[in-house]
Amino acid sequence: MKKLLVVLVILLTISFTFGTINFWTAPNPQQEEFWKGMVEEWNANNPDAQIKWKVIPATGSSEEAILTAIASGEGPDLCTNIFSGFAAQLIEAGVLVPWNDFDGYEELLEKRGMVEAIKGWEFGGNSYVIPIYSNPMLVWWRSDILKEAGFDNPPRTYSEVLALGEKVAIPKERYAYAFIKGKNWWDRWYDFITHYYAAGDGAPYFDVQNNKCLFNKVEGSSGDAIGYEVANFIEELFDKDYDAISMIDNALYLGAVVGQINGPWDMPTAASVFPDVYPEHIVFSTPPVPDSYPADKPIKTFADTKGMVLFNFAKDKDKIWEFVKWVYSDPEHDKKWLELTNLPPVRDDLTTNELFASIFENNTGLKAYAEYVPYAVPPALTTFTTEIQDLMTQYLIEPLSLQKETAKDAVDRTVNEINKELF
Amino acid sequence: MKFFNRKREEVSNLNYSLGKLHRKQASKGWLLISPYIVHQGIFFGIPLGWLIYLMFVKWNYLSPAKFYGLKNFVNLFTDDTFWLVLGNTFNMMAYFIPISMIGAILLALALNKLKYFRTVVALSFLVANVSSGVGYSIVFQKILAENGPINKILYNLFGITIPWFKEPQLAILSIALMISWKFIGYYGLILLAGIGAVPKNLYEAAKLDGATKRTQFFKITLPLINPALVMVLVMQITLTFGIFTEPYMITGGGPMKRTYTFMMFIYDNAFRTFTRTGPGYAATISVITAAISFSCIFLVRKIIERKVDLT
Repeated sequence: MKKLLVVLVILLTISFTFGTINFWTAPNPQQEEFWKGMVEEWNANNPDAQIKWKVIPATGSSEEAILTAIASGEGPDLCTNIFSGFAAQLIEAGVLVPWNDFDGYEELLEKRGMVEAIKGWEFGGNSYVIPIYSNPMLVWWRSDILKEAGFDNPPRTYSEVLALGEKVAIPKERYAYAFIKGKNWWDRWYDFITHYYAAGDGAPYFDVQNNKCLFNKVEGSSGDAIGYEVANFIEELFDKDYDAISMIDNALYLGAVVGQINGPWDMPTAASVFPDVYPEHIVFSTPPVPDSYPADKPIKTFADTKGMVLFNFAKDKDKIWEFVKWVYSDPEHDKKWLELTNLPPVRDDLTTNELFASIFENNTGLKAYAEYVPYAVPPALTTFTTEIQDLMTQYLIEPLSLQKETAKDAVDRTVNEINKELF
Repeated sequence: MKFFNRKREEVSNLNYSLGKLHRKQASKGWLLISPYIVHQGIFFGIPLGWLIYLMFVKWNYLSPAKFYGLKNFVNLFTDDTFWLVLGNTFNMMAYFIPISMIGAILLALALNKLKYFRTVVALSFLVANVSSGVGYSIVFQKILAENGPINKILYNLFGITIPWFKEPQLAILSIALMISWKFIGYYGLILLAGIGAVPKNLYEAAKLDGATKRTQFFKITLPLINPALVMVLVMQITLTFGIFTEPYMITGGGPMKRTYTFMMFIYDNAFRTFTRTGPGYAATISVITAAISFSCIFLVRKIIERKVDLT
């Protein structure tokens, strides 16, 4: 009994002396498996910096769970699954610690090969977010239908998509290209912004410093504003009935649409539910671009990326930094992450490092995504992400898909409405 | 005199005993309702107090709240989205209330005619009511998709399709239809109970007087089920102000923000645009929404509610 008491006292003393680090990660089974292993290994070797790991509680969204937890004093010290807009809001509220304040920050960037990638996450000259993974958005095409229509390669330009539509579209049965991803604000990342980055070589659509929209200003390859180029494409798709707002579920796998934008997270479902279609009858390509886009120029796309942040109320900041450094300076950890989650880690040697070769050998789809990581551009780091993208839905995507406005009018109105909302 | 003194003493003793009994009973009563009072205090009183506090502050969860006076109210009444959402709610009511009310009355009348398996049939209509909002939203979304089964049949038979979620009015109607499907069974059972309470001899007397079925329905059934009708109406109004899952899942509030509801408006301001608006603004919207909803209920009761004596 006495021994037990002594052990208890020692344990309590240790826990009060060193405290524990509250670490929250995304509610996703594959990511949970990765972090569980990482935390167990760290805790076994670092008794003075114990991590209490937890999955972000199930609520309407991760942001809701994190905010309410912070408000009630139960928030995490370290948290993953942070998207750009939420990161910008947290930065603006002054609750995040810049990672670049820690010793060895530059060294970690070099080691993981994310010197370039981190630039998209910088805010006021500081880096508050460590990007964990970067999902380039690619178009999945039904290769069997393309072949039937006489296309050996997936369409590269808008004209080629429209030419495909002429051959494959069947009214109310089959569409050529699913441009519109959905009706929620986040869907704009995967349709308008993805195509905007492709058409404009990754040019910004929003000026974060001055809170101004740029998509009717920045010129594209045709000499017209990039926003107009993309909007004209949407207008033509709907005008010719080559796209629909709401389609049946799994339209691509059922042959109800020939091409659509997808992320790497769609691969496991496709392989298990539609093994007769994926991977045999699927080819990947970058999003289509205007006809004037140079043929030899690589095409950029949107990076669906999430990162890790450190809250300023965390007690053991230096120990947390040690943990983060330990996780991201060893490429074996990124290999394990890639194997478990199929989400490309943010590193520029993904396709050149021998360590990852074995994974890509068995997964051509993942290899295609990994190849585009260097060409994937993250969204604007603005606190107005949801407002901007809501207004894009209301004034750009809906009027164009309902054929209620011309492309130019819809773009100009959207820009005006966004600028009006922000000032 | 002695007699009067004795009587006075007896009355005073009786009063004392009665008072003691009353106090004893009252304390028992308090004891019995105390769990409810504690429960209400914790789960209703504290949140209500917190809600009232939030209405007068600007807060973003992360930094200390600042006193904001009545600015949240001023901002709300000058917010175009608020008026749009209010319009959307009445628009939704205009479809949902008549559709679900007529459906529920017809169901109740049909169930009332059943001689056998009435309970089984009635309960089968409740399946819709207990089904998951997310689940049936997905099912309806796919059924009503542009190249979904209904539009395919319509296109193959008549060469037309219905843009269920494309046109603003049709999108509102589609959501109203879905919610009606979910609640018709439930409302129907409430009305069935009302119909069952109407004395049969009234119908017999009406029949003898030569009243048609139609006259019997409009002159006897409908007036006498007034309490049940008012109850359903109150529930319908409350429900319309609380719609969230269906538009959130299917339309995202569109097209043209016409299916954007108060609950979505509150949620967005509380959690999505929290650095600009935040929980203070969301609390103000929720209180005003509740006030409008209660006013509608009050008005409807004032206009429709009648005293019914079934004895």
